[in-house]
Amino acid sequence: METYIKNFCEKVVDALRKIPKNEIAKAINIIQAAYERNGRIYIFGNGGSLAIATHWVSDFNKTVFSHHLDKSTRRFQAIRLPSTESELTAWANDIGYDMVFAGPLKNYLQESDVVIAISSSGNSLNIVKAVELAKARHIPVIGLSGFDGGKLNELADAKVLVSTKKGEYEVVESVHGTILHLLTRYFGDYFDHMAKQQS
Amino acid sequence: MIIVRAPARISFVGGGTDLPAFYTQSPGCVISTAINKYSYAVVNRQPLAHGKVSARYSTAESAGHSRELKNNRIREALLHFGIEHDVDVTTFSDIPINSGLGASSSFSVALMKALLLLQGKEADQREVAELASHLEINLVKDPIGKQDQYAAAFGGMKVFRFNPDHSVDVEPVYLDYKKQSALEGHIQLFYTGIARLASSVLAEQSANAQKKFSTFKEMADLVPEFRAKLLAGDFRGLGTLLHAGWLKKKTLASNISNSVIDDFYAAGMDAGAWGGKVLGAGGGGCVMFLTPNGRKLAVQSAAAAVAKKHNLENFIEIPVRFVQSGVEVLLGHDQDNVPHLA
Repeated sequence: METYIKNFCEKVVDALRKIPKNEIAKAINIIQAAYERNGRIYIFGNGGSLAIATHWVSDFNKTVFSHHLDKSTRRFQAIRLPSTESELTAWANDIGYDMVFAGPLKNYLQESDVVIAISSSGNSLNIVKAVELAKARHIPVIGLSGFDGGKLNELADAKVLVSTKKGEYEVVESVHGTILHLLTRYFGDYFDHMAKQQS
Repeated sequence: MIIVRAPARISFVGGGTDLPAFYTQSPGCVISTAINKYSYAVVNRQPLAHGKVSARYSTAESAGHSRELKNNRIREALLHFGIEHDVDVTTFSDIPINSGLGASSSFSVALMKALLLLQGKEADQREVAELASHLEINLVKDPIGKQDQYAAAFGGMKVFRFNPDHSVDVEPVYLDYKKQSALEGHIQLFYTGIARLASSVLAEQSANAQKKFSTFKEMADLVPEFRAKLLAGDFRGLGTLLHAGWLKKKTLASNISNSVIDDFYAAGMDAGAWGGKVLGAGGGGCVMFLTPNGRKLAVQSAAAAVAKKHNLENFIEIPVRFVQSGVEVLLGHDQDNVPHLA
């Protein structure tokens, strides 16, 4: 049993060690630029990735300004798409699963926004369609992928690939969670730092 | 109405090596950062304007055809896209014109992006940088390089490499917020109150590119060293490099510095700055210092004293923050393209 646990942990640690730090730095700069122009962040994924997206949005929205919510008039919004289950099922039922992200995104997306797409294989058709929509409008895309990165890693501006053997969903999703927590923490620390400097 | 903005920039070292007279022989290299001072282009279709075109900048003008406009950039940009009338173009800027912070190129970048949008065309940062360079260098015929257009279009802290085949490599420099805000804290930027035109200084620099080839080369070679010190957070070392770069740059053309600029520079250094430079092509514009924390007030009052001595009424300290954003669309709706509102 111990060996099994150790092996799994080692796979996760190994994947973590190899994460592309410059691409994460690039992702941070993309998000920073969106903040500067009052843009919004849209994030989406399928299954476990959708759960990760939802988790991230709740953390990010709640904590980036948590220490100075009253002082700051400026806001920074992250939105998970689709934002309701009703919208998700409506697109899936009426049009098809391929459009569950691209459909809502088309309605929300403005020039000042950015997109974070999560797909372990990088090849989920609905993810690729939404990313293609964003790219066609020159919206910066942060792509969190796994395995060999697939189409998402090709298309994304910030190519955050968690490189693993094909099928290692648990490893990829664990590391995606870590990277998204890093983003939240970075901006939380950053805004705290700026608030301290101004006081 | 379409509203687009693009940031001004501070170039640290390598400025001037983006001139084709140099980089067609040996790659040019510049390191710069976008700052939170923007130029805005506002473009609005005016189908009810009775065939008029108008431009508002430091003054306002109106004409029956865009070729009759006096403002070079706006006229040539409109003609480039074949837009003849029924449009208003207005500009705003956070900083004085000709301040050496690349504001005129930020305006060109914002304008080209806005006019593309007006026609329903999309373009990425590189395409907009190239279009703005084409506007300024080929159409308006300013004898300038491409560093400002690229800095405005891409934003952030970047190393730009200008290759002999005219292509440009863009390499981001990733600083975390701690290093970034520490560096911002050491930077003191003063607008001298002397508006300068880049073109006269740059024309002489270009003409000297052969004669001064090795100096240009040394300036481009300072960039990797500057980048390394930046990543290491060696701010004193950065000051020393800025100083070295400024001394080299001064030798490139006779009018890069003058006695007033030399006064400013000497005063800042005497008051304890690590190093500094004149921003932009030279001859006026802004003087920047990298200063240790305990010496900032001394440098501030020394610079103010020089301004007073030379009666520079428009002298002012410009507080800066670095920004990641490049050219960006703040409002991208052309009402004519929205069927239910037309």
